[in-house]
Amino acid sequence: MANKSVWSDNRFWQRSAAWVTGFAAILLIWLTFDTSGQISMGSDADLKNGVTKRVPGPTVINYKITYEMDTKRGHEVPVIGAKEKFFGRDDYSEKEAGDLLHLGKLGSQAKNCMDCHTLLGNGAYYAPDLTKAWLDPAWESTGSMQAMTGKNTKEEAMAEFLQFPSKYPTHARMMPNLGITAAEAKGLVAFLKHMSSIDTNGFPRNFGKIQGALNGK
Amino acid sequence: MASNHLKWESKQLATWYFTFAAIIFGAQLLFGLIAAIQYVMPGFLFEIVDFSIARILHINALVVWMVFAMIGSVYWLLPDETGIETVGIKIGKLLFWVFAAAIVVVVLVYLLVQVGPADETTIWFITEGREYIEAPRWADIGIVVVVLGFIGNLYATGMKGKPTGIVTVLMADMLAFAGIYLAGMFFTDNISVDQFWWWWVIHLWVEATWEVFVGAIAAYGLITMIGAHRKVVEMWLWIEVAMLFGSGILGMGHHYFWIGTPEYWWEIGALFSALEPLPLVAMFIHVLYDWGKQQGAAHQRGEEGSVITNKPAFTWFILQAFGNFLGAGVWGFFHTLPQVNLYTHGTQFTSAHGHLAFFGAYATILIGMMYVAIQGSNGIKVLKHTKSSIAAAWMIAGGVMGMTVALTIAGYVDVIVTRAQMGATWAGYFDGHSGMWMLQGMDWRLIMGVVTFLGFLFLIKDFLSTGKNAVHIR
Amino acid sequence: MFEPFTDIVPSFFGWLNQGPLTLTIFLHSFIVLPMFWIYKQEKNRLENEK
Repeated sequence: MANKSVWSDNRFWQRSAAWVTGFAAILLIWLTFDTSGQISMGSDADLKNGVTKRVPGPTVINYKITYEMDTKRGHEVPVIGAKEKFFGRDDYSEKEAGDLLHLGKLGSQAKNCMDCHTLLGNGAYYAPDLTKAWLDPAWESTGSMQAMTGKNTKEEAMAEFLQFPSKYPTHARMMPNLGITAAEAKGLVAFLKHMSSIDTNGFPRNFGKIQGALNGK
Repeated sequence: MASNHLKWESKQLATWYFTFAAIIFGAQLLFGLIAAIQYVMPGFLFEIVDFSIARILHINALVVWMVFAMIGSVYWLLPDETGIETVGIKIGKLLFWVFAAAIVVVVLVYLLVQVGPADETTIWFITEGREYIEAPRWADIGIVVVVLGFIGNLYATGMKGKPTGIVTVLMADMLAFAGIYLAGMFFTDNISVDQFWWWWVIHLWVEATWEVFVGAIAAYGLITMIGAHRKVVEMWLWIEVAMLFGSGILGMGHHYFWIGTPEYWWEIGALFSALEPLPLVAMFIHVLYDWGKQQGAAHQRGEEGSVITNKPAFTWFILQAFGNFLGAGVWGFFHTLPQVNLYTHGTQFTSAHGHLAFFGAYATILIGMMYVAIQGSNGIKVLKHTKSSIAAAWMIAGGVMGMTVALTIAGYVDVIVTRAQMGATWAGYFDGHSGMWMLQGMDWRLIMGVVTFLGFLFLIKDFLSTGKNAVHIR
Repeated sequence: MFEPFTDIVPSFFGWLNQGPLTLTIFLHSFIVLPMFWIYKQEKNRLENEK
């Protein structure tokens, strides 16, 4: 038997390559349909009826958001709670909230946020991750960032910082002034609040839970 | 580059692409240096050329010079593979100028306008603000038109001439490469959907279609530079395609762990991407094995000396074999499993991997192809090393490796302090970034970046002078 | 025998995700197993060529 081995045969590998590539591509497309359905944005009705969506509708800005351990899933998940005022209101309509989010998302791209910060962990590593920035204790009423801006609410403090970042340095590495207007800042804060409500499978882990662990501070 | 030795117009066009690519490569390094200085001295060019702008230019120049050099490589090898002049070469030359002019405009707008108001005009004319593909929408459309023209030429030539295995793979690969770009050309308010499709472009480029592209280029290089057997080389190429696409396409899952996508991506991303290093090992073995085999056969025939007909190019091809395996394979595997990636995602660790992977997998082999073009344009039979070519290879490869190690060490403190200890808050981030390992890591990254840039200067000097050097065999 | 669903939305792929590696091993098998068939076909072809 001096047969040539199939393993050194070009046609075998060529056909295998075609099969593997084609089938993997089909699987990816199938998975994309499945995932697209799961990450489409929810609606105001979903929020009112307590339907959990991976990406809630824009009116999530009318509610309080927390990040809590889910024992069933084994990691933290965003929890949408009671109504909470956002720039003095908790009755944004689907249209109003949607417009704010649209402005904020456009702003996040127009100002190149991703080229210093990370959003959902993607971007540059020159500045803090913004995935759950809305939930950062530093912006709470007892937090250092809110105190620094002299504002009374989280959203106003964040908007103030975004408009005049170099007035409020937190590190030698400062955020530059990007010409963000008051309206754009409001949109950006809405965008950040909405992003914090996205179910990211527990990323980042332990966000805002541990303070002062470094060097026993 | 002198062109009187080039009888194919396709090869002349290739030298244009390589020349422009080398210039943009220099711009990439320059803006990388600015960004590296800003890590060490945050006040440097503050509110003039901010980190975000330096970084956009750093990574966009990276993508652009590589795409130019890739198109150049294809125009270079087409006449050799198909045996005919490239069809539609006139259109190809026109498209080159359109493409180059568009890139210059985009770069000037990035640099001079920088940001815009939060509306659609910014997305259309200034920046799309999405990492790697910030190019405004008008440029997106232009790029698609130009690349479709290139692909038209490739297909027309491949079908009219002799469609070798290498050309067949390139035809399929380049179509996917261009088609995937369309997935990055829309705006959505839903950031999860945004990033889902954004990865279709980025991942399916650098971990699938570009890898297959370098597989094809490596195959061509082995045939032309050391006289490897086409049948053996093409068999390896098909194996590589099967393994690269088999692991790489669904390996996309490792970008879908934390962006709002379902939990099942943990499993899909983990194991498929864990297998991604395998083809890179195969490519590494293949290059070294063929080299040894050809050298051994020549030795048995009683021939003295090396079988390599282009020493500098082959050096860069070998560096590619190492760099691809180390940078993309090992550094990628480091943080591809979800239980690790939960803490390493979006830290300096990612940056370390990015630097060595882009350099190791792509920059190296494209520099190699530039040397192949220099050899061809000067009618040189055996292109030898010069002092500059050796200095360039050592300093660039050593510099990038040094940056990678420095960033990896900075990455440890980022992962442990910023993420694990401090839970990734604003304050936690700056605690991590004030750590000694981080600060010293960033100092070393800058030093190694300077070394890389000096190496680049040697490389350019060699590009410009080696063609006339008397050491080569003509 | 079957694990209860943990993810938010039930789906075919989520259901295959029964525990460590079940989903990914299933998909890998589906990709690799047909290669045996390609192998057999090519082996026959090579033998007939003789």
